[in-house]
Amino acid sequence: MVHPVKRIVIVGGGTAGWLTAGVIAAKHRGRMDAGFSVTLVESPNTPIIGVGEGTWPTLRSTLARIGVSETEFFRQCDVAFKQGARFSRWTTGAPDDYYYHPLMLPQSFGQLNLVPHWLAREDGSTFCDAVCAQGRLCDDGLAPKTIATAEFEAVANYSYHLDAGKFAPFLQAHCCEKLGVRHVLADVRRVNLAENGDIRSIDTEQAGEIEGDLFVDCTGFKALLIGETLGVPFKDCSDVLFCDRALAVQVPYASEAAPIACQTNSVAQSAGWIWDIGLPARRGIGHVYSSRHISDEQAERELRAYIGPAGAALPVRKIPIRSGHRETFWKRNCVAVGLAAGFLEPLEASAIVLIELSAKLIAEQMPVCREVMDLIAARFNSTTHYRWGRIIDFLKLHYVLTRRQDSAFWRDNLLPETIPDRLKDLLLLWSHQSPWFHDEFDRVEEVFPAASYQYVLYGMGFRTQVEPSALGADARNAERALRENAVQTERLRAGLPRHRDLIRKIVEHGMQAV
Amino acid sequence: MPTIELLDPGRHGRLRLRARAAEVPHFIQVVASEFSAAAATCPILFTKEASTGAFYAGAMFGFKPGENLVGIPEEQGAFVPLMWQRDGFFISDRNVAIDREHARFSEDDGAPLFDDAQQPGDALRAIQRTLGDIHQGLEQTKSFIAALLELKLIEPIDISLNFDGGERLTLQGLYTVSLDRLRDLDDAAVLRLFRAGHLQLAYTMAASLRQIARLARLRNQRKAT
Repeated sequence: MVHPVKRIVIVGGGTAGWLTAGVIAAKHRGRMDAGFSVTLVESPNTPIIGVGEGTWPTLRSTLARIGVSETEFFRQCDVAFKQGARFSRWTTGAPDDYYYHPLMLPQSFGQLNLVPHWLAREDGSTFCDAVCAQGRLCDDGLAPKTIATAEFEAVANYSYHLDAGKFAPFLQAHCCEKLGVRHVLADVRRVNLAENGDIRSIDTEQAGEIEGDLFVDCTGFKALLIGETLGVPFKDCSDVLFCDRALAVQVPYASEAAPIACQTNSVAQSAGWIWDIGLPARRGIGHVYSSRHISDEQAERELRAYIGPAGAALPVRKIPIRSGHRETFWKRNCVAVGLAAGFLEPLEASAIVLIELSAKLIAEQMPVCREVMDLIAARFNSTTHYRWGRIIDFLKLHYVLTRRQDSAFWRDNLLPETIPDRLKDLLLLWSHQSPWFHDEFDRVEEVFPAASYQYVLYGMGFRTQVEPSALGADARNAERALRENAVQTERLRAGLPRHRDLIRKIVEHGMQAV
Repeated sequence: MPTIELLDPGRHGRLRLRARAAEVPHFIQVVASEFSAAAATCPILFTKEASTGAFYAGAMFGFKPGENLVGIPEEQGAFVPLMWQRDGFFISDRNVAIDREHARFSEDDGAPLFDDAQQPGDALRAIQRTLGDIHQGLEQTKSFIAALLELKLIEPIDISLNFDGGERLTLQGLYTVSLDRLRDLDDAAVLRLFRAGHLQLAYTMAASLRQIARLARLRNQRKAT
C-alpha cells in the first residue's frame, strides 16, 4: 500500500509562503477535486520580514503562470521596472567608477561570444554599452516597454522592484480567491512527529490540529520545521561573504514627478555597500555591512551621508543577517523555502528568484506518494545545493575583482582562504578564455547565466587574454553584431517612454493581456 | 497644429467645405457598423492606440504609410470609411467641432456649411449624420472588443509579405480574432456573443484577412506597370 501525497501544508505567509502556495496550487489545480489541497498556515501575530524588493525576470513567468494580471500587480504592489543593477565604486572606489549588470543578453549571444572581439578592439567603450542597450536605457531613465506592449512581454528584458509588504497580501488574495488555497490564521503551538520521524501534523492555537503529507517550511529565520523540529543544521558562509548587518530606511521623493530609477543602485562603502531601489511611492535604501569591520554607528553615518540632508530625520531599522543556508533543504516530508532555507546579502536580488525556483521544482516534481518522496528530495537537495553554491560564487565574484585597498574589508575579501575553490578555478580559466555557453553553466535553470558573469567580469575591468588569430572566423559576424547593437540602442532610446510616465499609464489605462 | 473650435453658425457662417484629400490613409479606424462593407474591400485588423495601449479596429488600405492600394473608394462605389468622411470634424461632448486649420475649410471655394438662414447645408448635414454613426459605432465596437478580450479571443498576427523583385515587408503590432479559441468556447459564451451581434463581427474580421493577399497582388501589379 502506498501513501499518497495530497495534503500540502505551508507554514508561514510572507513572500516565500504565498509564492510557493501559488506555484503549487496553479500547477495542481486540476487535482483539487480529487482531494489534493494546499493549506497555508500563518500566524496572525508574526510580522513579515519583507526582504528583497529586487527580483529577477523569472518573476514575470512565475506571475504569468500563477495567473495574476501584471496590471493589477503594478496597481497593488507599488511596482517599478528593474532593468539591472548599477554598481558604483566597486572597482576602484573613485567617484566616477561604475558599471552595469543589465538583464538583456549581449547582442547575438546565442550565436557568438562577443567578449574577445570587444577586448581586441580596445576602443574605450564599456562592455555593457558595446554589447547591449540597457545601460543607456537606465542612464536615460527609460522604461523597458511601452503601454502598447502586452502584459509580461518586454521590449528590453526586465524584472521588478516591489513593495514586499504589499506583495504578500496581493498573492494571498489571488491564491485564496482563484487558486483554491486554504488560508488558516493560527499560531503553531507544537509540531507532531510520526513514528518514522516524518512530520505528522501541527497543533495550532486557534485552529486545532492540521495534518499534512508534505510540509513546506516558510517560517523565515526561525526555521521552525526544518531547523527547530527536524534539527537540520545551518551552514554559515560568513567566511566568504562578510556582511552580517543591514540598516534600512524608506526615503520619500522630493516630488511626485521625480524620476524613478529603472535599476538597482549599489554603491560600495568602506565595509559593505548601499542599496538604493526606486519604487513609485518611495525609495528603499539600506546599508549592508560587516560588523567585524565597522561599528553600527559608523555604518549609520555612511548611510545618512549617502541619503543627504533629506533623510536626516528618517528612522533607520536595523536587521541582523546571517549569510548561509541549511545543510539539507528537503528532509523527510519537510522542505524549506525562503529565509528558512537560507539567506545571502541582497547584492544580486537572489532571494525571491530562489523562492520561485524552489517552488517550481516542488510543484513540478511533486512526489505522488511518500514512497518516492526521498528520491525527489535527493534531487531537490542536489539542485538547490548547486544553486546556493553558484550564487555564493557569483556574489563573491563582485568582491574578488575589486582593486580597492582603502579599507580592511576590501583587502580581507581578497584573502585566498575566503575565496571558494571553484571560483578560484574559474578565475584562472577566465583569464585565458571568457565564460560563454560551453562553460560549467550547463544547468537548464542557472540562477545566473554566463552573460551575468560576463557583465560583472568585464564591467569590473577583468581581462581575458585574446589570441588574435582565434578571432578571424567570427570577426565579421562580431563586427555586425556590435553595429546592430549600436543601431538597436538608438532605436530603443528614441522609442521608449520615461519610466515614471509608463507606470502612471499602466495604473491609469492598464496593459493588454496580448 | 490643429485649432479645434466648436462649430458655430455665427462664427463659421461663411465657411465652405472642400473635397477631401484624395487618398485614404494606409490604415484607418473603422467602427462595427462598417465591418461588412469594409471586409468586401480590405482587411480589418486590430491595433493598439500608442498613447493608451487600448485596442481599436482599423481597415488596411495599404501596407505602409502613404500607400493606398485600393484607390479612391468613391470613384468605385466601394467602402468609404466614416473616419475619412468626417475628416476635419470632431465630436466634443454632444457638439460638432472642427479643426479650423484643416485644408478642407475655406472661405472661397467648396460647399457652404450653412445656408443664408444660418441653418446647416447639405454638406454639413451629411457630416452630422456621419458623426452620429461614428459615435454610436464606437460604443458598439468598444463593447465588441471588451467581449473578445474577456474571452481571450484576440491574438497577435504576424504578416510577412514577399513581393516580386525581392522586397519583403513585415507588419507588426496587428491583431485579429482567434478562430481556434472561438471554436473552443462553451455554448453559453457562443450564444452570448451571437445575441450581442459580436459573433458576426468576429467572423467578418477573420474572413477579411483574405484581402491581404489581394492587396499584395494589387501592389505587385502596380509595381510592374
